[in-house]
Amino acid sequence: MTTVDSTTGDRIAADRAASAPPVRPHSAERRWVGQSIRRVEDPKFLRGRGGYIADRITPGTLHAAVLRSPHPHARITGFDVAAAQAAPGVHAVITGAQAAQLCDPMPDFGPDPTRHTWRCLAAEKVRYVGEGVAVVVADSRYLAEDALELIEVGYEPLPAVVDPERALDAGVPLVHEALESNCAYERSFDFGDVDRDFAEADLVIRDRLRWHRSGGQPLETVGAIADYDPGTGGFVIETNTLSFTSYLFMVAAALKVPVNRLDIRPAPAGGSFGSKLFANKPAVIAAMCARATGRKVAYIEDRVDNISNCDHHGSDRLYDVELAVMRDGTMRGIKIDTIDDYGAYIQFGVGHHGNALAQVTGPYTIGSVRYRVRAALTNKNQQGAYRGFGSEVNNWMLEQMVDKAARELDLDPAAIRRKNFIRQFPYYIPTGNVYDSGDYDKVLDKALELADYEHWRAEQKRLREQGRYIGIGLISAQERSVFSATEFWFWFDEPAAPVTSTPESVSLKVDTTGGITAILYSCAFWGNSPETMVAQFVAEEFDCDPYDVAVVYHGSGDGLPATGPGGSRTTVMLAGAVEGAAGKIKAKARRAAAHLLEIDEDDLEWADGGFGVRGDPERRKTLGEIAIMLHLFKHSFPADMTSGLDESQVYDHPWTTMPSADRKDLGVFYPFMGHACHIPVVEVDIETGAVTFLHYAAVHDCGTLVNPRSLAGHIVGGTAQGIGTALYEEFVYDTDGQLLSSSYLDYLIPTAMEVPELAIGHVETPSPYTPHGVKGGGEGGRMMAPAAINTAVNDALAPLGVRLTELPMTPERILTALRASRKKG
Amino acid sequence: MAAGTRGGQHRECALGRSPLKPPPFDYAAPTTLDEAIGLLAEHAGAEARVLAGGQSLIPMMNFRLAKPGYLVDLRRVAGLAGIRREGDTLVIGAMTRMAEVERSPEVAVAAPLVTEAIGLVAHVPVRNSGTVGGSLAHADPAAELPAVVLALDAKLVAAGPGGTRTIPAGEFFTGPYGTALAPEEILTEVRLPVWPGGHAFTEFSRIHANFAVVAVAALVDADGDRIRRASVALAGVGPTPVRAHSAERALLGTSGDAEAIRGAAQLAVADLSPAGDLHASAETRLTLAQVYLRRGLELAVSRARNER
Amino acid sequence: MTAISVTVNGRPHTAQVEPRRLLVDFLREDLGLVGTHIGCEHGVCGTCTVLLDGRSIRSCITLAVQADGAEISTVEGLADGAELHPLQDEFSEKQGLQCGYCTPGMLMRASEILAGNPDPSPAEVREAIASNLCRCTGYQFIVEAVLGAAERMRAEKETAS
Repeated sequence: MTTVDSTTGDRIAADRAASAPPVRPHSAERRWVGQSIRRVEDPKFLRGRGGYIADRITPGTLHAAVLRSPHPHARITGFDVAAAQAAPGVHAVITGAQAAQLCDPMPDFGPDPTRHTWRCLAAEKVRYVGEGVAVVVADSRYLAEDALELIEVGYEPLPAVVDPERALDAGVPLVHEALESNCAYERSFDFGDVDRDFAEADLVIRDRLRWHRSGGQPLETVGAIADYDPGTGGFVIETNTLSFTSYLFMVAAALKVPVNRLDIRPAPAGGSFGSKLFANKPAVIAAMCARATGRKVAYIEDRVDNISNCDHHGSDRLYDVELAVMRDGTMRGIKIDTIDDYGAYIQFGVGHHGNALAQVTGPYTIGSVRYRVRAALTNKNQQGAYRGFGSEVNNWMLEQMVDKAARELDLDPAAIRRKNFIRQFPYYIPTGNVYDSGDYDKVLDKALELADYEHWRAEQKRLREQGRYIGIGLISAQERSVFSATEFWFWFDEPAAPVTSTPESVSLKVDTTGGITAILYSCAFWGNSPETMVAQFVAEEFDCDPYDVAVVYHGSGDGLPATGPGGSRTTVMLAGAVEGAAGKIKAKARRAAAHLLEIDEDDLEWADGGFGVRGDPERRKTLGEIAIMLHLFKHSFPADMTSGLDESQVYDHPWTTMPSADRKDLGVFYPFMGHACHIPVVEVDIETGAVTFLHYAAVHDCGTLVNPRSLAGHIVGGTAQGIGTALYEEFVYDTDGQLLSSSYLDYLIPTAMEVPELAIGHVETPSPYTPHGVKGGGEGGRMMAPAAINTAVNDALAPLGVRLTELPMTPERILTALRASRKKG
Repeated sequence: MAAGTRGGQHRECALGRSPLKPPPFDYAAPTTLDEAIGLLAEHAGAEARVLAGGQSLIPMMNFRLAKPGYLVDLRRVAGLAGIRREGDTLVIGAMTRMAEVERSPEVAVAAPLVTEAIGLVAHVPVRNSGTVGGSLAHADPAAELPAVVLALDAKLVAAGPGGTRTIPAGEFFTGPYGTALAPEEILTEVRLPVWPGGHAFTEFSRIHANFAVVAVAALVDADGDRIRRASVALAGVGPTPVRAHSAERALLGTSGDAEAIRGAAQLAVADLSPAGDLHASAETRLTLAQVYLRRGLELAVSRARNER
Repeated sequence: MTAISVTVNGRPHTAQVEPRRLLVDFLREDLGLVGTHIGCEHGVCGTCTVLLDGRSIRSCITLAVQADGAEISTVEGLADGAELHPLQDEFSEKQGLQCGYCTPGMLMRASEILAGNPDPSPAEVREAIASNLCRCTGYQFIVEAVLGAAERMRAEKETAS
């Protein structure tokens, strides 16, 4: 089918209109939403009373340490643990083979978990340097590590598969023999009329691009403290990761306990950036050890554990791309062929590419997409989530192509983008996802102004005459928010589990004194500010002081389903959950007030923290007055009114639709679309390959901002991580599969000297579909910076005919490119 | 493992080791030098080592790449810290904290190369604990101070069971993380010939204050318009710091202009064969060495001229 | 086991410790002062920064025995009861923290910076805090917080004198 006939087109349009949520009016007046209030979380952290997981270890808790494989690929032939077991302070030594009896495989959303089975410890084979093969439990971490050295492991090394392209060749060693291939997934999708768009194009821009893996590397590693009660046969696990509570049945299954005997309690996390999303391996290891020893056991990853064995390395992609363009700069279609090096396991399937497809055409009216993805398995730590979850790589790829097109067509970078900007919303991109709202011209205008763009172009020219190479990068790209579960399974025509729930829940309790407590489930603290955000939403609803709102986190055992942070969903989902619960509270309070004031409910209106009679505001009841009555004076109300004033809201994704059967339309799966423009100015020292920043402007549009200062903080932090990805950070595996960057001596995290001061601008184009018009924005900085910095470096080196297409742009890679271009003459 | 590259030892930490807690050892903090030497000799079988600031040794022990069975802590030994001038020699006690050297006006006057270099050694918190002697005895091929003492033709004084001896810097560094010190010897002081100007310490590191990929210590002394003395040492380009004698010879008698410097830098690099690692290939190290030789010499020459 | 005497936040302690016990573990586990955090355990990230005799050190690459006879200052000693130290208050005001994990080390380093240089320029602050990694903030609001605290502390000193 090359054209969509008008009937089908009309039907699609009608379906889309029907599935969209109602357009909501937004109040122009907001008291708390939009205020950069101090965070309610801060006091405890400032005093060193954060209560992180390692702070919660009580005396008498045993400590686990994991023995890790020195080989990238090897069969395990045997263990001698006698000396370790006899070592001082040791309570247990559990090998991978024993763990395979004690535990079932780890939760795995990959394409074929029974054939790429992932366990908490390697059983018969190790598949990457650093994979755990045994665990020791001892009185202290020191003693556990002493005992690790006494374990003898027999390894039969196997040839390692390291290069993702070679991994897909025939006859190479297999990471998982049962899979019979190192290609865990391959499929090509066509959206729109790709062949026509390419046939009609004036020019096809081609390139090959390489993005190497980096990772979140928060300063706090993943850790868990587990306790097993043989009486109930259940576990209580404290850990700094709690997400997807509805999927914790998979963790319970791994531990071979009923779901309602697993209670996971969240500790605040010292950063995550995705790497603590559903990071359950330490919890499973700790729990297994607790059951084996009959004691409470803490397993806290150390830094080397985390770098080599964290299950959350970022995307690792090779792209072959073709962009079809017209001479006037109009972009018609794009063909993307990508190989993603997933490492030895593939826990999230190719969901990272769902993140890409959500905004694959960027802010542009590109009409067609061919997307071919191959997931290669290699002998490396597996991928997980890293800020952007695979969409930031797409942004980078697309913007490099737009940049290349601009050069080949001799168009100004801003002009080519404006030529293709989407200006009508809601806008459905070829994959079927929708962009709810946006104003891309406004963001670009503001960024150019903030960047003092004309000044820097003049400076660039002036300094070039002095033999200095200044570059100005300019990218405009999307930052999607609030993912749908469909992006993890629409890859299959017959998915094993076409799940569609990604709820978030909040309970609000108004106590006898009128004080409000908000309970969050699974919405763990990662450094985002869920408490402050909820406090601001609650204060907005109830006209109270946000600092008077108590916010608590409940564990998985306490109930309501929730998903937690990820895909920048927290803001919208908490807003919806709070709105829902608040609405129920107000409904009950209204009814109670009507009864107390002996008036019709319709004659009451909410104002200033209570219900008052319309036209006679002196006659009113505050929330506190209503609450105490409801809590204590049951007989003052109609018989059917229950005591208390607390309500919960399970808030489901407000806008997601199913993919079509033929997968030509993936449905709506990431509708609340933010946007940003980054304009960095860099200088490249062509003698050393060093890149320094002379200026950096960043303008983001994430809809209505709840706490502008917080969002600005995320923009800077995300940009700092993007700088790392662009210039410094890489998990380097050599050709033998050895991990060369296994400590912070070699995995280079930017300091305050590598990150410039950013000039930050905000644009707020509200979403018509969310409470207050909010969208998510926590990932945006990192989703923009690598793309922007690459274009800046290329702009600097353009006069020398050099273009970097591989990240990170290390001095080595820059100097190599410069040498090559000099040889070409 | 590539020799002459910083951090090479640390990459072994991925090889089957998860630990980041040190292994057990016995420990003493003696109050006299003789006592310290005696303990080193007595516990030689347990692989006794000196503990100075620990900023290099303790991370290695956390990685369990170093497993001394006995640590002799010098923190309480009197007479090992301090800075003093003895005529044309600047004497720095081995246990002098790097931060103290950094702040010292005496050092800034007598050997500004040291001041400039020491400001590039890691960060302030590391320099607060780390010692001059510890850094020299650790002999990291990419470290700053070994290149400095080599450029200054310093003498390193060691005390052992057999008495005291003086080791010229040129003989002190024997290989990556290897020195001429015997296992029971303790470095007590560094004796630096005064060289009050015409200095430059420059280095290339990937992240601010991170270890140097390549570092250059340059010293020139001019008489009128002519260079009469030059000393150049590099770090990060071999298993030990190296003197660039060919470059030094080439500069003598020249005005130290751009052409002379370029020529000297080229000659120096021709003598080098560094190993590569994940941060820089051998070819890149040579490129960087040449660039920093040139930049360092330019700065040293301009400073020499300004001091006339 | 080796005997040590350490004063921490003004309070004297004596203890018997294994020589290999890292200072950070001694503070956290033996003294219950969990405000000092572990980030890398090889002396690169600065998360574990405390003050020893007024100077910043990395407690993950310092043995507890090396602190014998010394005065240690940790984040728990910064606030004066209910009243936050100007640095803490400014970190909150400027949102110089997100996850809070690097914050104690950053605060101790900042206190050393301001003790040595009460009126630093933004560039000086930025270079000085480069010793401490932060993964969340990108440093900008930390620099603003330190500058804000410096201004407040100078004003307080002037008022006092």
